[in-house]
Amino acid sequence: MLLIRCPHCAAERPEVEFVYAGEAHISRPRDPAVLTDEQWKNHLFIRSNPRGTHFERWRHIHGCGRFFNAVRDTVTDKFAMTYKAGLPRPSEAEIREARS
Amino acid sequence: MLQQYRPLDGSRIAVPDSVLGIEMADDCTRFNLRIAGTGIAPAGKVFGVTLPKVIGQTAASGDKLALCLGPDEWQLMAPLDERDRIEAAFAALYAKVPHSLVDISHREVGIVVEGSAAAVALCSACPLDLDEMPVGAATRTIFDKAQIVLIRQGRDSFRIEVWQSFADHVWGILQAAGREITLEI
Amino acid sequence: MSTYRVAAKGRIDQSRPVHFTFNGERFEGRKGDTLASALLANGVHLVGRSFKYHRPRGILSAGSEEPNALVGVSRGVGRSEPNTRATVLEVFEGLNTVSQNHWPSLKRDVGTINDAFYMLFSAGFYYKTFMWPKSFWNKVYEPFIRGAAGLGKSPSVPDPDTYASRYAHCDVLVVGSGPAGLAAALEAGRSGAKIILVDEQAELGGSLLSEPAAGINGQPAWQWLETAADELAASKNVTVLTRTTAIGYYHENFLGLCQRVTDHLETLPEGAPRERMWRVRARQVVLAQGSIEKPLVFDGNDRPGVMLAGSARTFLNRYGVKVGNRAVVVTSHDSAWLAAINLAEAGVKVSAIIDIRASVPYHLVDLAKAHGIEVLTGWTVTGTSGRLRVSSVRVNPVTAGGKVGRARNIACDTLLMCGGWTPSVHLFSHTKGKLDWNEERQMFLPGAPTEETRCAGAGNGVFGLLDALKEGAFAGASAATDAGFKAKAGDYQIEGEIACTGISVKELPTDRNSSSAKAFVDFQNDVTAKDIRLAVREGFQSIEHIKRYTTTGMATDQGKTSNINGLAIASDAVRRPTPAVGLTTFRPPYTPTTFGAFAGYTRGSLFEVTRKTAIDGWAEQNGAVFEPVSLWRRAWYFPERGEDMHQSVARECKATRQSLGIFDASTLGKIEIVGPDAAEFINRMYTNAWSKLAPGRLRYGLLLGEDGFIRDDGVIGRLSTDRFHVTTTTGGAARVLATMEDYLQTEWPDLKVWLTSTTEQWAVIALNGPNARQLIEPLVEGIDLSNQAFPHMSVAEGNICGVPTRLFRVSFTGELGFEINVPSRYGRAVWEALYEAGRQYDITPYGTEAMHVMRAEKGYIIVGQDTDGTLTPDDAGLGWAIGKAKPDFVGKRSLTRSDMLKADRKQLVGLMTRDPKTVLEEGAHIVADPNQPVPMKMIGHVTSSYWSEALGRSIALAVIEGGRAREGQTVHVPMPGKTHQAEITGMVFFDPENERLNA
Repeated sequence: MLLIRCPHCAAERPEVEFVYAGEAHISRPRDPAVLTDEQWKNHLFIRSNPRGTHFERWRHIHGCGRFFNAVRDTVTDKFAMTYKAGLPRPSEAEIREARS
Repeated sequence: MLQQYRPLDGSRIAVPDSVLGIEMADDCTRFNLRIAGTGIAPAGKVFGVTLPKVIGQTAASGDKLALCLGPDEWQLMAPLDERDRIEAAFAALYAKVPHSLVDISHREVGIVVEGSAAAVALCSACPLDLDEMPVGAATRTIFDKAQIVLIRQGRDSFRIEVWQSFADHVWGILQAAGREITLEI
Repeated sequence: MSTYRVAAKGRIDQSRPVHFTFNGERFEGRKGDTLASALLANGVHLVGRSFKYHRPRGILSAGSEEPNALVGVSRGVGRSEPNTRATVLEVFEGLNTVSQNHWPSLKRDVGTINDAFYMLFSAGFYYKTFMWPKSFWNKVYEPFIRGAAGLGKSPSVPDPDTYASRYAHCDVLVVGSGPAGLAAALEAGRSGAKIILVDEQAELGGSLLSEPAAGINGQPAWQWLETAADELAASKNVTVLTRTTAIGYYHENFLGLCQRVTDHLETLPEGAPRERMWRVRARQVVLAQGSIEKPLVFDGNDRPGVMLAGSARTFLNRYGVKVGNRAVVVTSHDSAWLAAINLAEAGVKVSAIIDIRASVPYHLVDLAKAHGIEVLTGWTVTGTSGRLRVSSVRVNPVTAGGKVGRARNIACDTLLMCGGWTPSVHLFSHTKGKLDWNEERQMFLPGAPTEETRCAGAGNGVFGLLDALKEGAFAGASAATDAGFKAKAGDYQIEGEIACTGISVKELPTDRNSSSAKAFVDFQNDVTAKDIRLAVREGFQSIEHIKRYTTTGMATDQGKTSNINGLAIASDAVRRPTPAVGLTTFRPPYTPTTFGAFAGYTRGSLFEVTRKTAIDGWAEQNGAVFEPVSLWRRAWYFPERGEDMHQSVARECKATRQSLGIFDASTLGKIEIVGPDAAEFINRMYTNAWSKLAPGRLRYGLLLGEDGFIRDDGVIGRLSTDRFHVTTTTGGAARVLATMEDYLQTEWPDLKVWLTSTTEQWAVIALNGPNARQLIEPLVEGIDLSNQAFPHMSVAEGNICGVPTRLFRVSFTGELGFEINVPSRYGRAVWEALYEAGRQYDITPYGTEAMHVMRAEKGYIIVGQDTDGTLTPDDAGLGWAIGKAKPDFVGKRSLTRSDMLKADRKQLVGLMTRDPKTVLEEGAHIVADPNQPVPMKMIGHVTSSYWSEALGRSIALAVIEGGRAREGQTVHVPMPGKTHQAEITGMVFFDPENERLNA
């Protein structure tokens, strides 16, 4: 069972309090009507699915209830860092720093 | 007024020598309060308790208690007869400070878990490290498959707040844990 | 008592006899014995038959790695457990055990015929043997495999025991209480850190329990052990868990520990759990799992009486049992020499030590000779004989060039073997920690860890007692330091330690034809060295494939005694170095673990949460039959005397339509949406237009996913400008709230609106029928219930029976209806008051089934029954619920994707069977032409189907390709026995003008 740091509670809490919520940094287009079918399909269904560093969303559903973002390695399962939703995607340097 | 229905009322889990005592808490008024940063201070004034701003902290005044459960979320607990006053006072605040105050008095029941083995009983299904939970702290968490709010009222005294329909399940596990503690096994 | 018990030896209580049975025969053991040691004390080695060949098998080891000695244990009805290792089963007065895998008896077993058909059962035998002819499969092969499969008998009645679970947190978790683990726990404990020390055995000590001779810090080993155990027991910050196996090591230092609470007790305390699963989160972990002795691989190495030398030493020193009277030792490692000398000192005639190595340390040779033991170094073992017990061993000299010389036979009743020691790296492997191959020592050792963990002692390849203590102490101290405590490793002095070394070998050299040798590698799965070489010859190169093809290492012992031997042989056969061949993956659990321990409290009434409404108790008292709906149990129907479901539902529907029905709708999901932007938020979430909904009014809301498919629906009431009462489906409540929170928090954080679940704040009583208004009018205060003031789709706040209510005028049956929301603790009392008052109208409680029938008569859909996640609003006939003028809402963009506009999309329609009495099966397929060849083209399926009492005939809803355009056409519904004809109709079967609803 993973331990996940909730950026709102500022504490590490057990995985059972959380739910996974898909890839991060995909925002809903401001006006979907102007998108082509192809663009809308890409927004809806196409995800990066990387081997290694993955930006993803979690929700502390049985805690403070907040959605937040995380950087996790999909090979080792280890979290590098978590941060509040709305913050920009961390740089590689920041992720390296967090891992060390 | 009609009789209220409380299925677990009067039930008790007890281990001799006050090692463990578990029973239903008295009913109270409960509100879920959602309010943005600038509204916290006036809302505290209206309720009568300075609202804590750190998630996991509680603040009390008299017999009123406020738990900070999320960045913009509090559970307010007060005596039954304060319900209408609190609701009216917040309604008056709304025009100036929009917020959401929702009565959840009947959504939840309280279960008090007390005694030197209280933490052990809770560890049967609660994944938190209770040694790290200070007296006066409160948090939403999970107890087996039920979401609960856990309040540490004292070193050996906890209160579980749980949705009505999950109370039986929580109670059943506490009963099993109580048997183990009685048998010292 | 037998001649095998050695007085004044061992840690058992010699003064306390314990009686038990094995295969019906009564035996005497001692308090503190395992079943294995007690049987050996009675001269019993033969304890079971092997899996494939039914070969007689004895006790191989003294620990949890045991592959052979699996027994069935029975403690009364339901309390029977197969495959328990005799080497870990503690005896108690009255213990009942049986051997397994034999018929008719252990000593005469007809299954041994498999042994004669040895060729048939070699590597991959399942794949080869049972393939042909095909016609044999059902009648011959499958019954044979089923008959032969598995070891032992699984219990056939429910387990009466209970199981517990517990979360725990500590600074340092130490796994294993041998010298390294004890030293670690002591140092870490002295720092004040919170420690858990766990050991699978009944007492602390690990290998020290088998080695009383050494001295530690000036004390005899066992005295030091007692002092250490006392210190740990007295430390408030230390929790010692014996009889507890660390079964798995998971992410972030999370370990599963299975504690056996009552299995060793003579009488079971009333209500005590049998086992407890500890879920421990540790800041730091010290793994001191020790090591496992390797068998040697030679023809006949599985005969009863052949066992591991170190285990023989354990039986002698720990349990005071001689494993035989006349022993021969075969080894490639010094440690077996110490075992031989221990046994000789205890009066066992040790005839010879056969060492594969040409040269052995002089001090060992001298010591052996001083005990009158013949020493044959540079010799090999090429066979054993004896029917149910080894009676002699065949030994040959091997020249420096590898030539095997003339054989001679040495008589014995016990053959002790040792092929060296394998560090137990199982838990370390669970963490995906890298294992490094040490070529010189021919072993895998823990490499770089992935968790906050360190290995110490034999499990880290550090075998000497002094070194293990020192490494353990260091590991304990550094673990405590890393956990934030001050600790320093103490020093140790040792007396009387003899350092041991050895070499690793593959199959022993032989002068015989190796293709007929039965030299076992995996004892439990009956895999020989020859099987592994055959697999390689047949083209298997990867160790993972060899493992699966031969099944080596795949038995319940996960190859604890066989993996390294198997790997050495495979690596030799594929001519690649061992690390290139690689080790198969160790997976949790470390040792077999009961399902009960994993389930914990999760069984019986606690198997799953059963949510009950405030009115559930009344339904139960009034004979309701329940059905599960998500986690809830809901009243399904209320049968009266002698009624079946069909009759009950028909009566409930009729009563509701004729006069008055009462229904518990409390499980409906409810969300209170409050804030200045509440209407805007609902506008964006739901398909309909909400801005103009006046306070006091209700509207049906339809919720889509961004893919345009229906996710949920419900009625939404506007209580005031800024406050909405949203209802959802029962099963969708949590999902809908989570979806809303997602949009609110991450897409539209600027909206001033908040969501609160009120599902359980309100009990909901639905009253439906022509007399609904008459019933409540006198009971309601503060609300004008007249049709003009309170028309269909209205909401108002007031009181009912003196209790505050949010009263909805709404209907899911097509009758005049109200949904009465009251604070849930008043739900039952209000229900009872309404029921009493309703007797004048023959008020009838109805369940979910009648509700389903009545809503289907009106063509109201149930999301999740009539929709399946692939229906758009238009598909479901709900195009009217889309706010066409709205620029956007969740899912809107998808509704204009080309696929969504196709004319042949499956659409929801009504179906009427040609024969009005036929009720179609829900889920039945629909075809256009019943005479087409099978497989037919399916054009849709039935989603809802009922007997309608109101119409006196059956009705159904179905999704059919281009269904609405086919209205009036006949389709065909193949069902078991007959294909039924049905006509496609509209979806509303009853009161299409809604006259009753608006009454």
